[in-house]
Amino acid sequence: MEKLKRIWRSLIWAWSPKSNREASESVIRNFWLHWFPSRISLRSMSWGYSLWLGVFAACLFAILALTGLLLLFFYIPSVQSAYWSIKDIENVVVFGSLLRAQHRWAAHLMVAVVFLHMVRVFFTAAYRGQRVWNWYIGIVLFIVTLFLSFSGYLLPWDQLSYWALTIGTAIASSIPLLGRSIRFLLVGGNILGQNSLLRFYALHNFFLPAGLLFLFALHMWRIRKDGGLASMDNLIHETKSKEIPVSPSKTYSLLGVTEGTTIQVATTEVLDESNSAHASPGLVRRIALVFLLTTIITLALALIFPSPLEEPANPAVTPIPAKAPWYFLWLQELIAITTIKIGTFSISGGLIGGILIPAFLILLAAVWPFLDKSPADAVGVWFHRSRRRQNVIFTLICLAVIILIIIGVYLRGPYWNFYWPWQDWPEMPTLF
Amino acid sequence: MGKLSILIALLAEAVGAIKAFIPSVLYEPPSKFKVGKPDDFPEGITFLSGRRLYIFRTGNDFRAVSAICTHLYCVVDWRPDQNEFYCSCHGSRFSQEGINISGPAPKPLPWYQLSLAPDGSLNVDSKEAVKQDYKFSI
Repeated sequence: MEKLKRIWRSLIWAWSPKSNREASESVIRNFWLHWFPSRISLRSMSWGYSLWLGVFAACLFAILALTGLLLLFFYIPSVQSAYWSIKDIENVVVFGSLLRAQHRWAAHLMVAVVFLHMVRVFFTAAYRGQRVWNWYIGIVLFIVTLFLSFSGYLLPWDQLSYWALTIGTAIASSIPLLGRSIRFLLVGGNILGQNSLLRFYALHNFFLPAGLLFLFALHMWRIRKDGGLASMDNLIHETKSKEIPVSPSKTYSLLGVTEGTTIQVATTEVLDESNSAHASPGLVRRIALVFLLTTIITLALALIFPSPLEEPANPAVTPIPAKAPWYFLWLQELIAITTIKIGTFSISGGLIGGILIPAFLILLAAVWPFLDKSPADAVGVWFHRSRRRQNVIFTLICLAVIILIIIGVYLRGPYWNFYWPWQDWPEMPTLF
Repeated sequence: MGKLSILIALLAEAVGAIKAFIPSVLYEPPSKFKVGKPDDFPEGITFLSGRRLYIFRTGNDFRAVSAICTHLYCVVDWRPDQNEFYCSCHGSRFSQEGINISGPAPKPLPWYQLSLAPDGSLNVDSKEAVKQDYKFSI
Protein backbone atom coordinates (compact mmCIF):
# COMPACT_ATOMS: atom_id res chain seq x y z
CA MET A 1 0.00 0.00 0.00
CA GLU A 2 2.78 2.38 1.03
CA LYS A 3 4.63 1.49 -2.14
CA LEU A 4 1.58 2.10 -4.33
CA LYS A 5 1.16 5.45 -2.62
CA ARG A 6 4.76 6.33 -3.40
CA ILE A 7 4.37 5.32 -7.07
CA TRP A 8 1.20 7.40 -7.39
CA ARG A 9 2.95 10.31 -5.70
CA SER A 10 5.92 10.24 -8.00
CA LEU A 11 3.54 10.06 -10.96
CA ILE A 12 1.60 13.22 -10.16
CA TRP A 13 4.28 15.18 -8.25
CA ALA A 14 7.58 16.26 -9.78
CA TRP A 15 8.79 16.89 -6.27
CA SER A 16 7.53 15.90 -2.87
CA PRO A 17 6.42 18.78 -0.61
CA LYS A 18 7.19 18.67 3.13
CA SER A 19 4.45 21.04 4.29
CA ASN A 20 1.22 22.67 3.18
CA ARG A 21 3.11 25.86 2.51
CA GLU A 22 5.63 24.10 0.33
CA ALA A 23 2.82 22.34 -1.46
CA SER A 24 0.89 25.50 -2.10
CA GLU A 25 3.94 27.24 -3.48
CA SER A 26 4.45 24.45 -5.88
CA VAL A 27 0.94 23.95 -7.15
CA ILE A 28 2.25 24.38 -10.65
CA ARG A 29 4.19 21.17 -10.22
CA ASN A 30 1.05 19.13 -9.63
CA PHE A 31 -1.16 17.95 -12.44
CA TRP A 32 -4.42 18.44 -10.55
CA LEU A 33 -3.52 21.76 -9.00
CA HIS A 34 -1.62 23.57 -11.71
CA TRP A 35 -4.69 25.57 -12.70
CA PHE A 36 -4.93 27.10 -9.23
CA PRO A 37 -2.93 30.12 -8.09
CA SER A 38 -0.60 29.49 -5.18
CA ARG A 39 -2.39 32.05 -3.02
CA ILE A 40 -6.01 33.09 -3.22
CA SER A 41 -7.64 36.13 -1.66
CA LEU A 42 -10.09 35.49 1.15
CA ARG A 43 -12.56 37.69 -0.69
CA SER A 44 -12.50 35.45 -3.79
CA MET A 45 -12.90 32.40 -1.60
CA SER A 46 -15.73 33.76 0.54
CA TRP A 47 -19.18 32.16 0.19
CA GLY A 48 -20.82 35.55 -0.01
CA TYR A 49 -18.99 37.02 -3.00
CA SER A 50 -19.32 34.40 -5.75
CA LEU A 51 -21.89 32.22 -3.92
CA TRP A 52 -19.69 29.49 -5.47
CA LEU A 53 -22.18 29.16 -8.30
CA GLY A 54 -19.54 28.49 -10.96
CA VAL A 55 -18.01 25.67 -8.94
CA PHE A 56 -21.52 24.41 -8.21
CA ALA A 57 -22.26 24.32 -11.96
CA ALA A 58 -18.97 22.53 -12.67
CA CYS A 59 -19.75 19.95 -9.97
CA LEU A 60 -23.20 19.41 -11.48
CA PHE A 61 -21.57 18.84 -14.86
CA ALA A 62 -19.21 16.30 -13.28
CA ILE A 63 -22.20 14.45 -11.79
CA LEU A 64 -24.02 14.63 -15.13
CA ALA A 65 -20.98 13.22 -16.93
CA LEU A 66 -20.60 10.38 -14.42
CA THR A 67 -24.27 9.38 -14.30
CA GLY A 68 -24.56 9.92 -18.06
CA LEU A 69 -21.64 7.61 -18.80
CA LEU A 70 -23.34 4.92 -16.72
CA LEU A 71 -26.70 5.46 -18.44
CA LEU A 72 -24.92 4.93 -21.79
CA PHE A 73 -24.69 1.25 -20.94
CA PHE A 74 -28.46 0.85 -20.61
CA TYR A 75 -29.99 3.23 -23.11
CA ILE A 76 -30.70 2.11 -26.70
CA PRO A 77 -30.90 4.96 -29.24
CA SER A 78 -33.53 3.40 -31.49
CA VAL A 79 -37.06 4.58 -32.10
CA GLN A 80 -38.40 1.10 -31.31
CA SER A 81 -36.32 0.45 -28.18
CA ALA A 82 -35.50 3.82 -26.64
CA TYR A 83 -38.71 4.12 -24.62
CA TRP A 84 -38.55 0.53 -23.41
CA SER A 85 -34.88 0.82 -22.47
CA ILE A 86 -35.83 3.79 -20.27
CA LYS A 87 -38.59 1.64 -18.77
CA ASP A 88 -35.92 -0.97 -18.05
CA ILE A 89 -33.65 1.64 -16.48
CA GLU A 90 -36.58 2.68 -14.29
CA ASN A 91 -37.83 -0.77 -13.31
CA VAL A 92 -35.25 -3.45 -14.05
CA VAL A 93 -31.74 -2.05 -13.74
CA VAL A 94 -30.61 -2.11 -10.10
CA PHE A 95 -30.48 1.51 -8.90
CA GLY A 96 -31.33 2.52 -12.48
CA SER A 97 -34.16 4.82 -11.49
CA LEU A 98 -31.89 6.55 -8.98
CA LEU A 99 -29.23 6.98 -11.66
CA ARG A 100 -31.72 8.49 -14.09
CA ALA A 101 -33.30 10.69 -11.43
CA GLN A 102 -29.92 12.03 -10.33
CA HIS A 103 -28.98 12.74 -13.94
CA ARG A 104 -32.27 14.52 -14.48
CA TRP A 105 -32.07 16.58 -11.29
CA ALA A 106 -28.48 17.58 -11.94
CA ALA A 107 -29.56 18.73 -15.42
CA HIS A 108 -32.43 20.83 -14.08
CA LEU A 109 -30.21 22.33 -11.40
CA MET A 110 -27.41 23.03 -13.87
CA VAL A 111 -29.67 25.22 -16.02
CA ALA A 112 -30.74 27.16 -12.91
CA VAL A 113 -27.25 27.43 -11.43
CA VAL A 114 -25.57 28.54 -14.68
CA PHE A 115 -28.27 31.20 -15.04
CA LEU A 116 -27.79 32.37 -11.43
CA HIS A 117 -24.03 32.39 -11.98
CA MET A 118 -24.53 34.81 -14.88
CA VAL A 119 -26.81 36.94 -12.70
CA ARG A 120 -24.08 37.05 -10.05
CA VAL A 121 -21.48 38.08 -12.63
CA PHE A 122 -23.80 40.83 -13.81
CA PHE A 123 -24.55 42.25 -10.36
CA THR A 124 -20.85 42.30 -9.46
CA ALA A 125 -19.89 43.88 -12.83
CA ALA A 126 -17.41 41.03 -13.28
CA TYR A 127 -17.62 41.27 -17.09
CA ARG A 128 -15.59 44.45 -17.44
CA GLY A 129 -12.29 44.95 -19.22
CA GLN A 130 -10.61 41.85 -20.55
CA ARG A 131 -13.00 39.72 -18.50
CA VAL A 132 -15.54 40.38 -21.25
CA TRP A 133 -14.11 37.34 -23.05
CA ASN A 134 -15.00 35.12 -20.15
CA TRP A 135 -18.48 36.68 -20.15
CA TYR A 136 -18.80 35.66 -23.82
CA ILE A 137 -17.54 32.15 -23.14
CA GLY A 138 -20.06 32.05 -20.29
CA ILE A 139 -22.93 33.03 -22.61
CA VAL A 140 -21.96 30.23 -25.01
CA LEU A 141 -21.67 27.80 -22.07
CA PHE A 142 -25.20 28.74 -21.00
CA ILE A 143 -26.54 28.12 -24.52
CA VAL A 144 -24.69 24.78 -24.71
CA THR A 145 -26.21 23.87 -21.32
CA LEU A 146 -29.70 24.58 -22.69
CA PHE A 147 -29.06 22.53 -25.83
CA LEU A 148 -27.74 19.68 -23.66
CA SER A 149 -30.96 19.76 -21.62
CA PHE A 150 -33.10 19.88 -24.75
CA SER A 151 -31.28 17.01 -26.49
CA GLY A 152 -31.35 15.09 -23.21
CA TYR A 153 -35.09 15.01 -22.74
CA LEU A 154 -35.59 13.96 -26.38
CA LEU A 155 -33.86 10.65 -25.78
CA PRO A 156 -36.62 8.73 -23.90
CA TRP A 157 -38.76 9.09 -27.07
CA ASP A 158 -41.92 9.55 -25.05
CA GLN A 159 -44.66 12.09 -25.75
CA LEU A 160 -42.63 14.89 -24.14
CA SER A 161 -39.64 14.06 -26.35
CA TYR A 162 -41.60 13.71 -29.53
CA TRP A 163 -43.57 16.95 -29.27
CA ALA A 164 -40.60 18.93 -27.93
CA LEU A 165 -38.64 17.80 -30.97
CA THR A 166 -41.61 18.61 -33.23
CA ILE A 167 -41.88 22.13 -31.86
CA GLY A 168 -38.11 22.67 -31.58
CA THR A 169 -37.44 21.74 -35.19
CA ALA A 170 -40.53 23.67 -36.35
CA ILE A 171 -39.04 26.78 -34.72
CA ALA A 172 -35.86 26.16 -36.74
CA SER A 173 -37.93 25.89 -39.92
CA SER A 174 -39.51 29.29 -39.29
CA ILE A 175 -36.17 30.97 -40.07
CA PRO A 176 -36.60 32.76 -43.41
CA LEU A 177 -34.99 31.14 -46.48
CA LEU A 178 -32.72 28.63 -44.70
CA GLY A 179 -35.28 27.36 -42.18
CA ARG A 180 -36.61 24.37 -44.10
CA SER A 181 -33.13 23.12 -44.96
CA ILE A 182 -32.02 23.48 -41.34
CA ARG A 183 -35.03 21.48 -40.18
CA PHE A 184 -34.39 18.82 -42.83
CA LEU A 185 -30.78 18.57 -41.63
CA LEU A 186 -31.73 18.40 -37.92
CA VAL A 187 -34.52 15.88 -38.44
CA GLY A 188 -32.65 13.89 -41.08
CA GLY A 189 -35.76 13.82 -43.28
CA ASN A 190 -39.22 15.34 -43.33
CA ILE A 191 -40.71 13.24 -40.56
CA LEU A 192 -39.26 12.72 -37.08
CA GLY A 193 -37.78 9.26 -36.81
CA GLN A 194 -34.67 7.18 -36.37
CA ASN A 195 -32.40 9.75 -38.04
CA SER A 196 -33.59 12.49 -35.70
CA LEU A 197 -33.14 10.42 -32.56
CA LEU A 198 -29.65 9.30 -33.57
CA ARG A 199 -28.60 12.83 -34.45
CA PHE A 200 -29.63 14.26 -31.12
CA TYR A 201 -28.17 11.23 -29.35
CA ALA A 202 -24.76 11.91 -30.93
CA LEU A 203 -25.04 15.61 -30.06
CA HIS A 204 -26.08 14.89 -26.48
CA ASN A 205 -23.45 12.27 -25.77
CA PHE A 206 -20.43 13.60 -27.53
CA PHE A 207 -20.46 16.88 -29.40
CA LEU A 208 -22.22 19.09 -26.85
CA PRO A 209 -20.43 17.76 -23.73
CA ALA A 210 -17.07 17.83 -25.55
CA GLY A 211 -17.72 21.42 -26.59
CA LEU A 212 -18.79 22.29 -23.06
CA LEU A 213 -15.65 20.69 -21.61
CA PHE A 214 -13.42 22.60 -24.01
CA LEU A 215 -15.13 25.91 -23.22
CA PHE A 216 -15.00 25.11 -19.51
CA ALA A 217 -11.23 24.66 -19.75
CA LEU A 218 -10.96 27.97 -21.60
CA HIS A 219 -13.22 29.60 -18.97
CA MET A 220 -10.92 28.42 -16.13
CA TRP A 221 -7.76 29.40 -17.98
CA ARG A 222 -9.12 32.87 -18.60
CA ILE A 223 -9.97 33.36 -14.92
CA ARG A 224 -6.28 32.85 -14.13
CA LYS A 225 -5.09 35.04 -16.99
CA ASP A 226 -7.52 37.80 -16.03
CA GLY A 227 -6.07 37.87 -12.52
CA GLY A 228 -8.59 35.76 -10.63
CA LEU A 229 -12.16 36.64 -9.76
CA ALA A 230 -13.27 40.24 -10.24
CA SER A 231 -13.18 40.76 -6.47
CA MET A 232 -9.37 40.76 -6.89
CA ASP A 233 -9.62 43.93 -9.00
CA ASN A 234 -11.43 45.54 -6.15
CA LEU A 235 -8.77 44.45 -3.67
CA ILE A 236 -6.01 45.76 -5.93
CA HIS A 237 -7.97 48.98 -6.36
CA GLU A 238 -8.25 49.43 -2.59
CA THR A 239 -4.62 48.60 -1.85
CA LYS A 240 -3.32 50.78 -4.69
CA SER A 241 -3.83 53.81 -2.50
CA LYS A 242 -1.31 52.36 -0.05
CA GLU A 243 2.37 52.02 -0.82
CA ILE A 244 3.20 48.38 -1.50
CA PRO A 245 6.87 47.40 -1.27
CA VAL A 246 8.14 45.83 -4.48
CA SER A 247 9.00 42.21 -3.91
CA PRO A 248 12.49 41.30 -5.04
CA SER A 249 11.56 37.71 -5.73
CA LYS A 250 8.91 38.46 -8.35
CA THR A 251 9.47 38.35 -12.08
CA TYR A 252 8.20 41.51 -13.63
CA SER A 253 8.43 40.39 -17.19
CA LEU A 254 8.15 37.11 -18.91
CA LEU A 255 11.84 36.26 -19.49
CA GLY A 256 12.27 39.81 -20.70
CA VAL A 257 9.94 39.21 -23.62
CA THR A 258 7.14 41.39 -22.35
CA GLU A 259 7.29 44.75 -20.67
CA GLY A 260 5.45 46.16 -17.70
CA THR A 261 3.75 44.42 -14.82
CA THR A 262 1.45 41.52 -15.57
CA ILE A 263 -1.85 41.17 -13.76
CA GLN A 264 -0.49 38.09 -12.01
CA VAL A 265 2.34 40.11 -10.52
CA ALA A 266 -0.05 42.85 -9.47
CA THR A 267 -2.13 40.15 -7.83
CA THR A 268 0.73 38.59 -5.92
CA GLU A 269 1.88 42.02 -4.78
CA VAL A 270 -1.30 42.78 -2.85
CA LEU A 271 -1.87 39.31 -1.41
CA ASP A 272 -0.37 38.78 2.01
CA GLU A 273 -1.08 36.76 5.15
CA SER A 274 -3.87 39.10 6.24
CA ASN A 275 -6.04 38.96 3.12
CA SER A 276 -5.30 35.60 1.49
CA ALA A 277 -4.78 31.89 2.04
CA HIS A 278 -2.88 29.09 0.33
CA ALA A 279 -4.92 27.63 -2.51
CA SER A 280 -3.86 24.21 -1.30
CA PRO A 281 -5.44 23.21 0.99
CA GLY A 282 -7.87 26.16 1.43
CA LEU A 283 -9.42 26.31 -2.04
CA VAL A 284 -9.10 22.58 -2.69
CA ARG A 285 -10.92 21.78 0.53
CA ARG A 286 -13.80 24.12 -0.29
CA ILE A 287 -14.17 22.76 -3.81
CA ALA A 288 -14.34 19.26 -2.35
CA LEU A 289 -16.98 20.52 0.07
CA VAL A 290 -19.08 22.02 -2.74
CA PHE A 291 -18.77 18.80 -4.72
CA LEU A 292 -19.98 16.79 -1.73
CA LEU A 293 -22.83 19.22 -1.19
CA THR A 294 -23.86 19.00 -4.86
CA THR A 295 -23.80 15.22 -4.70
CA ILE A 296 -25.92 15.21 -1.56
CA ILE A 297 -28.48 17.66 -2.97
CA THR A 298 -28.88 15.83 -6.30
CA LEU A 299 -29.03 12.44 -4.58
CA ALA A 300 -31.59 13.64 -2.05
CA LEU A 301 -33.77 15.15 -4.78
CA ALA A 302 -33.42 11.97 -6.83
CA LEU A 303 -34.48 9.85 -3.86
CA ILE A 304 -37.52 11.98 -3.08
CA PHE A 305 -38.70 12.81 -6.61
CA PRO A 306 -38.39 10.04 -9.21
CA SER A 307 -38.25 10.94 -12.92
CA PRO A 308 -41.49 11.08 -14.86
CA LEU A 309 -41.97 9.25 -18.14
CA GLU A 310 -44.93 9.95 -20.41
CA GLU A 311 -46.64 7.60 -22.87
CA PRO A 312 -44.55 6.30 -25.79
CA ALA A 313 -44.18 8.81 -28.64
CA ASN A 314 -47.41 8.98 -30.63
CA PRO A 315 -47.28 11.12 -33.79
CA ALA A 316 -51.08 11.16 -34.02
CA VAL A 317 -51.84 12.62 -30.61
CA THR A 318 -50.46 15.83 -29.18
CA PRO A 319 -50.79 15.89 -25.38
CA ILE A 320 -53.26 18.50 -24.10
CA PRO A 321 -51.55 20.69 -23.04
CA ALA A 322 -48.05 19.92 -24.36
CA LYS A 323 -45.68 21.73 -22.03
CA ALA A 324 -41.90 22.05 -22.26
CA PRO A 325 -39.75 21.80 -19.10
CA TRP A 326 -39.83 24.97 -16.98
CA TYR A 327 -36.68 26.52 -18.41
CA PHE A 328 -38.20 26.61 -21.90
CA LEU A 329 -41.72 27.62 -20.88
CA TRP A 330 -40.98 31.35 -21.17
CA LEU A 331 -40.05 30.66 -24.80
CA GLN A 332 -43.16 28.54 -25.29
CA GLU A 333 -45.22 31.40 -23.84
CA LEU A 334 -43.47 33.83 -26.20
CA ILE A 335 -43.98 31.70 -29.34
CA ALA A 336 -47.65 31.36 -28.41
CA ILE A 337 -48.26 35.11 -28.16
CA THR A 338 -45.90 36.81 -30.62
CA THR A 339 -47.41 35.95 -34.00
CA ILE A 340 -47.92 39.20 -35.87
CA LYS A 341 -50.73 39.49 -38.42
CA ILE A 342 -51.25 42.45 -40.69
CA GLY A 343 -54.02 41.63 -43.13
CA THR A 344 -53.02 38.45 -44.93
CA PHE A 345 -49.35 38.97 -44.13
CA SER A 346 -48.15 37.25 -40.97
CA ILE A 347 -44.94 36.40 -39.15
CA SER A 348 -45.02 33.21 -37.10
CA GLY A 349 -44.46 33.41 -33.37
CA GLY A 350 -41.95 30.63 -33.93
CA LEU A 351 -39.66 33.13 -35.62
CA ILE A 352 -40.29 36.08 -33.29
CA GLY A 353 -40.57 34.36 -29.91
CA GLY A 354 -38.46 31.32 -30.75
CA ILE A 355 -35.55 32.93 -32.55
CA LEU A 356 -35.57 36.74 -32.75
CA ILE A 357 -36.28 37.52 -29.08
CA PRO A 358 -33.72 35.00 -27.70
CA ALA A 359 -31.20 36.24 -30.29
CA PHE A 360 -31.87 39.82 -29.21
CA LEU A 361 -31.34 38.89 -25.53
CA ILE A 362 -28.03 37.18 -26.37
CA LEU A 363 -26.95 40.21 -28.37
CA LEU A 364 -27.95 42.50 -25.52
CA ALA A 365 -25.86 40.43 -23.08
CA ALA A 366 -22.95 40.67 -25.53
CA VAL A 367 -22.99 44.45 -25.92
CA TRP A 368 -23.92 45.27 -22.32
CA PRO A 369 -20.32 45.33 -21.00
CA PHE A 370 -19.61 48.13 -23.48
CA LEU A 371 -22.69 50.11 -22.49
CA ASP A 372 -21.74 49.84 -18.83
CA LYS A 373 -19.89 53.10 -18.08
CA SER A 374 -19.62 52.67 -14.29
CA PRO A 375 -16.28 53.56 -12.64
CA ALA A 376 -13.51 50.98 -12.17
CA ASP A 377 -14.18 50.58 -8.45
CA ALA A 378 -17.62 49.10 -9.29
CA VAL A 379 -15.94 45.94 -10.54
CA GLY A 380 -16.10 43.02 -8.12
CA VAL A 381 -18.65 44.62 -5.79
CA TRP A 382 -22.27 43.53 -5.38
CA PHE A 383 -24.85 46.19 -6.37
CA HIS A 384 -22.40 49.10 -6.69
CA ARG A 385 -24.16 52.46 -6.31
CA SER A 386 -23.09 53.69 -9.75
CA ARG A 387 -24.80 50.72 -11.42
CA ARG A 388 -28.20 51.10 -9.81
CA ARG A 389 -30.07 51.97 -13.00
CA GLN A 390 -28.66 49.12 -15.10
CA ASN A 391 -29.18 46.68 -12.24
CA VAL A 392 -32.85 47.66 -12.20
CA ILE A 393 -33.18 47.16 -15.98
CA PHE A 394 -31.41 43.81 -15.80
CA THR A 395 -33.60 42.70 -12.88
CA LEU A 396 -36.72 43.67 -14.81
CA ILE A 397 -35.64 41.58 -17.83
CA CYS A 398 -34.94 38.60 -15.55
CA LEU A 399 -38.26 39.12 -13.78
CA ALA A 400 -40.12 39.20 -17.10
CA VAL A 401 -38.61 35.83 -18.00
CA ILE A 402 -39.45 34.42 -14.56
CA ILE A 403 -43.04 35.71 -14.74
CA LEU A 404 -43.47 34.12 -18.19
CA ILE A 405 -42.13 30.85 -16.74
CA ILE A 406 -44.60 31.04 -13.83
CA ILE A 407 -47.49 31.73 -16.23
CA GLY A 408 -46.39 28.78 -18.38
CA VAL A 409 -45.98 26.37 -15.47
CA TYR A 410 -49.01 27.23 -13.34
CA LEU A 411 -51.51 29.25 -15.36
CA ARG A 412 -51.72 27.51 -18.73
CA GLY A 413 -54.12 24.66 -19.30
CA PRO A 414 -55.63 22.79 -22.26
CA TYR A 415 -55.17 24.57 -25.62
CA TRP A 416 -52.84 27.01 -23.87
CA ASN A 417 -55.84 28.74 -22.30
CA PHE A 418 -55.37 30.78 -19.17
CA TYR A 419 -56.53 29.16 -15.91
CA TRP A 420 -56.00 30.30 -12.34
CA PRO A 421 -54.52 27.58 -10.12
CA TRP A 422 -57.85 27.23 -8.27
CA GLN A 423 -59.83 26.81 -11.51
CA ASP A 424 -60.45 23.28 -12.72
CA TRP A 425 -59.34 22.32 -16.19
CA PRO A 426 -62.18 21.08 -18.45
CA GLU A 427 -62.50 17.39 -19.11
CA MET A 428 -60.45 16.51 -22.21
CA PRO A 429 -61.19 13.66 -24.62
CA THR A 430 -58.44 11.06 -24.54
CA LEU A 431 -57.47 9.41 -27.79
CA PHE A 432 -55.34 6.65 -26.27
CA MET B 1 -0.61 28.98 -52.65
CA GLY B 2 0.10 26.36 -49.99
CA LYS B 3 -2.27 27.94 -47.49
CA LEU B 4 -4.96 28.37 -50.13
CA SER B 5 -4.86 24.76 -51.25
CA ILE B 6 -5.07 23.55 -47.64
CA LEU B 7 -8.06 25.84 -47.14
CA ILE B 8 -9.75 24.55 -50.30
CA ALA B 9 -9.11 20.95 -49.26
CA LEU B 10 -10.56 21.57 -45.78
CA LEU B 11 -13.56 23.34 -47.26
CA ALA B 12 -14.20 20.47 -49.65
CA GLU B 13 -14.03 18.04 -46.72
CA ALA B 14 -16.46 20.16 -44.74
CA VAL B 15 -18.92 20.25 -47.64
CA GLY B 16 -18.55 16.47 -47.95
CA ALA B 17 -19.24 16.03 -44.25
CA ILE B 18 -22.37 18.17 -44.45
CA LYS B 19 -23.47 16.26 -47.57
CA ALA B 20 -23.34 13.04 -45.56
CA PHE B 21 -25.95 14.46 -43.22
CA ILE B 22 -28.45 15.04 -46.02
CA PRO B 23 -30.18 11.66 -46.36
CA SER B 24 -30.00 10.23 -49.89
CA VAL B 25 -32.90 7.89 -49.25
CA LEU B 26 -35.91 8.71 -47.10
CA TYR B 27 -37.64 5.76 -45.48
CA GLU B 28 -40.82 7.75 -45.09
CA PRO B 29 -44.41 7.13 -46.14
CA PRO B 30 -45.16 8.47 -49.64
CA SER B 31 -46.74 11.89 -50.01
CA LYS B 32 -49.46 10.38 -52.23
CA PHE B 33 -51.38 7.60 -50.53
CA LYS B 34 -54.66 5.67 -50.44
CA VAL B 35 -56.95 6.28 -47.47
CA GLY B 36 -59.61 3.67 -48.18
CA LYS B 37 -62.81 3.26 -50.16
CA PRO B 38 -65.11 6.31 -50.23
CA ASP B 39 -67.85 4.26 -48.63
CA ASP B 40 -65.61 3.56 -45.63
CA PHE B 41 -66.10 7.15 -44.59
CA PRO B 42 -69.23 8.08 -42.68
CA GLU B 43 -71.01 11.35 -43.25
CA GLY B 44 -69.17 14.14 -41.44
CA ILE B 45 -65.57 14.31 -40.31
CA THR B 46 -63.14 11.41 -39.88
CA PHE B 47 -59.67 11.69 -38.35
CA LEU B 48 -56.97 9.50 -39.89
CA SER B 49 -54.47 9.39 -37.05
CA GLY B 50 -51.71 7.62 -38.97
CA ARG B 51 -51.84 10.24 -41.73
CA ARG B 52 -52.62 13.22 -39.50
CA LEU B 53 -55.45 14.09 -41.83
CA TYR B 54 -59.16 14.92 -41.58
CA ILE B 55 -61.53 13.65 -44.26
CA PHE B 56 -64.78 15.59 -44.71
CA ARG B 57 -67.72 13.87 -46.34
CA THR B 58 -70.95 15.59 -47.33
CA GLY B 59 -73.04 13.27 -49.44
CA ASN B 60 -70.78 12.34 -52.33
CA ASP B 61 -68.41 15.25 -51.82
CA PHE B 62 -65.03 14.55 -50.22
CA ARG B 63 -62.41 16.94 -48.89
CA ALA B 64 -59.11 16.35 -47.09
CA VAL B 65 -57.45 18.82 -44.73
CA SER B 66 -54.11 18.53 -42.96
CA ALA B 67 -54.27 18.11 -39.18
CA ILE B 68 -50.83 19.68 -38.70
CA CYS B 69 -50.96 23.15 -37.19
CA THR B 70 -49.25 25.78 -39.33
CA HIS B 71 -47.68 27.36 -36.26
CA LEU B 72 -45.30 24.71 -34.93
CA TYR B 73 -46.59 21.41 -36.37
CA CYS B 74 -48.66 20.04 -33.47
CA VAL B 75 -51.77 17.99 -34.29
CA VAL B 76 -55.04 19.96 -34.21
CA ASP B 77 -58.15 18.44 -32.63
CA TRP B 78 -61.59 18.68 -34.21
CA ARG B 79 -64.05 19.95 -31.62
CA PRO B 80 -67.56 19.05 -32.82
CA ASP B 81 -69.13 21.13 -30.03
CA GLN B 82 -67.38 24.26 -31.31
CA ASN B 83 -67.16 23.34 -35.02
CA GLU B 84 -63.52 24.36 -34.89
CA PHE B 85 -60.03 22.86 -34.92
CA TYR B 86 -58.05 23.48 -31.73
CA CYS B 87 -54.28 23.20 -31.41
CA SER B 88 -53.22 21.88 -28.03
CA CYS B 89 -49.69 23.27 -28.06
CA HIS B 90 -50.25 27.01 -28.28
CA GLY B 91 -54.01 27.43 -28.59
CA SER B 92 -54.42 28.23 -32.29
CA ARG B 93 -57.96 27.83 -33.59
CA PHE B 94 -59.11 27.12 -37.13
CA SER B 95 -62.59 27.31 -38.62
CA GLN B 96 -64.25 24.39 -40.33
CA GLU B 97 -62.77 25.78 -43.55
CA GLY B 98 -59.29 25.49 -42.01
CA ILE B 99 -58.88 29.24 -41.72
CA ASN B 100 -56.80 30.41 -38.76
CA ILE B 101 -59.17 32.48 -36.66
CA SER B 102 -57.26 32.98 -33.43
CA GLY B 103 -54.03 32.09 -31.68
CA PRO B 104 -50.51 32.16 -33.07
CA ALA B 105 -51.05 30.14 -36.28
CA PRO B 106 -49.85 32.29 -39.18
CA LYS B 107 -51.58 30.45 -42.06
CA PRO B 108 -54.72 28.37 -42.77
CA LEU B 109 -54.53 24.57 -42.71
CA PRO B 110 -53.74 23.23 -46.19
CA TRP B 111 -56.38 21.25 -48.16
CA TYR B 112 -55.18 18.39 -50.34
CA GLN B 113 -56.07 17.12 -53.78
CA LEU B 114 -58.13 13.96 -53.92
CA SER B 115 -58.49 11.45 -56.73
CA LEU B 116 -59.83 7.96 -57.30
CA ALA B 117 -57.33 5.13 -57.63
CA PRO B 118 -58.03 2.38 -60.24
CA ASP B 119 -59.13 0.03 -57.44
CA GLY B 120 -61.75 2.52 -56.31
CA SER B 121 -59.88 3.85 -53.27
CA LEU B 122 -59.62 7.50 -52.41
CA ASN B 123 -56.14 8.92 -53.12
CA VAL B 124 -54.73 11.88 -51.20
CA ASP B 125 -51.84 13.88 -52.62
CA SER B 126 -50.31 15.82 -49.72
CA LYS B 127 -47.87 17.56 -52.08
CA GLU B 128 -50.79 19.15 -53.97
CA ALA B 129 -52.45 21.89 -51.97
CA VAL B 130 -55.81 23.06 -53.26
CA LYS B 131 -58.19 25.95 -52.57
CA GLN B 132 -60.49 25.90 -49.53
CA ASP B 133 -63.63 25.44 -51.63
CA TYR B 134 -62.20 22.38 -53.41
CA LYS B 135 -64.50 19.37 -53.45
CA PHE B 136 -63.96 15.95 -54.92
CA SER B 137 -67.26 14.42 -56.02
CA ILE B 138 -67.92 10.84 -57.00
